[in-house]
Amino acid sequence: MKKIFTITMRDIVSSLRDSMIIYIIIFPFILAVILRMMTSSVGATTVNIAVDNSIDSTMVEYLEDFGNVETFDSIERVNKRVNDTDDVFGLTKKGLTYSIIQEGNERASSVDLLEYMVSSYENQNLDLPIEVEVSDIGWNLSPIKQYGGNLLIVFISVFGGMIILINLVEEKQENTLSAVNVSSITRTQYVIGKGLLGFMVPIIHSIGILAILNYGQINYLMVIVVILCIAMISVLIGFLIGVTNDNILGAISSMKMLFIPILGSIFGAIFLGSQWHYLLYWSPFYWAFNALNSIILKEATWSGVLLNCSIIILITGIIFALLSKKIKRGLN
Amino acid sequence: MIKVENLFYSYTKDSKYAVDDVNFEVAKGEAFGFLGPSGAGKSTTQGILTGLLPMQDGLAEVAGYNMKNPSRKMFNKLGVSFEQSNVYGKLTALENLEFYRKLFDVETIEPNVLLEIVGLSHVANKKASTFSKGMKHRLTFARSMLNKPELWFLDEPTTGLDPAIANQIKDVIKEKSKEGSTIFLTTHNMFIADELCDRVGFIIDGVLKLIDSPRNLKLKYGQKLVDIEYKDGNEIKKDSFSLIKEEERLKLNHIINNYEIELMHTKEATLEEIFIKVTGRGLV
Ligand SMILES: Nc1ncnc2c1ncn2[C@@H]1O[C@H](COP(=O)(O)OP(=O)(O)OP(=O)(O)O)[C@@H](O)[C@H]1O
Ligand SMILES: [Mg+2]
Repeated sequence: MKKIFTITMRDIVSSLRDSMIIYIIIFPFILAVILRMMTSSVGATTVNIAVDNSIDSTMVEYLEDFGNVETFDSIERVNKRVNDTDDVFGLTKKGLTYSIIQEGNERASSVDLLEYMVSSYENQNLDLPIEVEVSDIGWNLSPIKQYGGNLLIVFISVFGGMIILINLVEEKQENTLSAVNVSSITRTQYVIGKGLLGFMVPIIHSIGILAILNYGQINYLMVIVVILCIAMISVLIGFLIGVTNDNILGAISSMKMLFIPILGSIFGAIFLGSQWHYLLYWSPFYWAFNALNSIILKEATWSGVLLNCSIIILITGIIFALLSKKIKRGLN
Repeated sequence: MIKVENLFYSYTKDSKYAVDDVNFEVAKGEAFGFLGPSGAGKSTTQGILTGLLPMQDGLAEVAGYNMKNPSRKMFNKLGVSFEQSNVYGKLTALENLEFYRKLFDVETIEPNVLLEIVGLSHVANKKASTFSKGMKHRLTFARSMLNKPELWFLDEPTTGLDPAIANQIKDVIKEKSKEGSTIFLTTHNMFIADELCDRVGFIIDGVLKLIDSPRNLKLKYGQKLVDIEYKDGNEIKKDSFSLIKEEERLKLNHIINNYEIELMHTKEATLEEIFIKVTGRGLV
C-alpha cells in the first residue's frame, strides 16, 4: 500500500512540474467556463431573485437550487435592487400571498418560471411529485448545457489516461523503469500506483465541471461511479501506448485517436433516433454518456446507473483481455 | 552469491549469442571483476543476473534465488548501478533517492549521507535534468547503495568521471567490499579492477576466456621488464629488457657496464597488457 502511494505521489510531483500536464489539468475547467458563458447567454438558464426577510430560509434554499438568490432586510432595498440594470426579480410575501416585483426589462419566460417555482414550492407540502415536473419544463437545462457538460465529462475521461501516458513514456525515455524493476516493488503495485492518477484526475475534472456548470443537486456519487468505470478504458489505452512508445508527442497523438469513438458515440447518441442507438451499443462511451445524461436530468436510478456501468466494465474487460499481454511485455 | 552455469543469451533469439556458454561463481564477500571490450556481453550478463533480461538458456542463481523465477524480495538484497545513468530529470537529487528508498522493505541509508559520499550534497535540491553526465552517473551509483545491498552490481561505475571523483568512487566500493558486500564489477578501468577485485574474468564476444586473481595472472603472464635510458655519445637511447630471458639480461648488463645510465626502472605487466596477451585483443 505504502509503495503504491509512493509511485502515485512521485507521478503527482513530476506532473506538477510538466507544463503539458498542467495544461491538460486546467484545460477542462476552461472549457467548462466557456460552456457556462455560452449557455447563460443562450437561454434563460438562471433567474436572479432578490428577497426580503418575509421569505423564510427553506424557501430561499429551495429557490437557490434554480437561481441566484440575494437576501435583503427590507422591501425597500429589494425594490432598489430590482431597479438596477440587470435582470433581477423581487419576491416578497404578505400573509399567504407572494408578490413578484419586476422592473419591466425582465424576460417574460423568466417571470413564468419564477411563478412556477414559487407555486411548486408551496405544492411541495402537498406531497406532489414536483421534482419530475421541474425537469420536464427543462428551464435550467438548455440542450447545450445538458449535452455539452455531459460531452465534456466523457471527453475528459481520457485526460487521466493521457497523464499516465506522459509519465510512462518519460519513465521509458529516462529508463528509470529499469531501476524500479530492480527494487522490491511488485509489478502489480507499480501498475496500480501508476494507474491511480488516471481515475483521480477525471473525478476532480468532472466534479469541477459539474460545479462550474451548476446543475444543482445531482447525485455526485453516481457521477463518480460512472467516471470510475469509463476512465478504465483510458487508463488501459494510456498504459498500452505508454509502454510501446518512447516519444511523448507521438504517444499523445495516438492517444488522441480515442476522441474519434468518443465523439462518434456521443454525437450518435444525441442526433440518432433512438431506434438507431443499438448501433452504438459497442461503445463504452455511449453507455457512459447515457448514464450521465440521466444523472444530469435527475432521472437516474442506481439500478440504471449500475447496469450501464456493468456494460462498460464488460466491454473494458474484453479490451483488457486483448491487450494485457502487450502491456506486460512493455513493462519489462 | 552468484552461480552461473552454461548461460546463453541471444537478443535475436537465434544462434548469435551475446552471452555464449558462460560459467562462473562468485563467493559471498568476494569482489569479482568482469572485464572485456565493448560489446563483449558484460552488460547483457548483468542484465540477466538482475532480472532485467529474461533467462533464456542455462542456469543462474543470484543471492539464493533461481533467476528463472526470482522473487521480488530478492531485490532487497541487491544493489544495481547502471551503465547508463537513469534518474528522474524532473525530481531533485534528494527526491530521486527519497522516492527510491521507499520501494524497499529493508532499512535504507539516509539519502543525504549518500549524496555527501558521492559529492552531490551541494546540488541535493537541484533537478537532476540540470546535472552533467558525471553527476547523473554518481546519483545512479548512490541510488544503488540505498538498501545496503549484500550483492552489488556495478556496471562501469567510474566511466565518464574525472579521475579524482573516479578515485573517490573506487574508495567507496573498496570500503563496502571490506564491510563484506559481494561485488560484481564491470569495468574498462584495469587499475580499478586490479586494485578492487579478488578475481577477474575476461570476456570477449560473449565467451568467458579466463578467470583468475590479478596476482596469479601477473605471475603467470606478466614478465618483469626493465626500461632503461642511457647516453651513447651525445645520443640518448631507450630500451626495454625482460629479466626472464637470459640473452636480454646479458644485454642489459652490458649497457649498465659500458654506458652512462640516465633512467632505469622495472615495470610489472598491467592487467591490460595481460588481457591483450591472453585474448589477442585490446580492451576498448
Ligand atoms: N538491446 C539490444 N538488442 C540487440 N542487441 C544488443 C542489445 N544490447 C546489446 N546488444 C548486443 O549484444 C552484445 C553484447 O552487448 P553488451 O551491452 O552486453 O556489451 P558490453 O560488454 O556491456 O559492452 P560495453 O563495454 O560497450 O558496455 C553486443 O554485440 C551488442 O551489440
Ligand atoms: Mg556494457
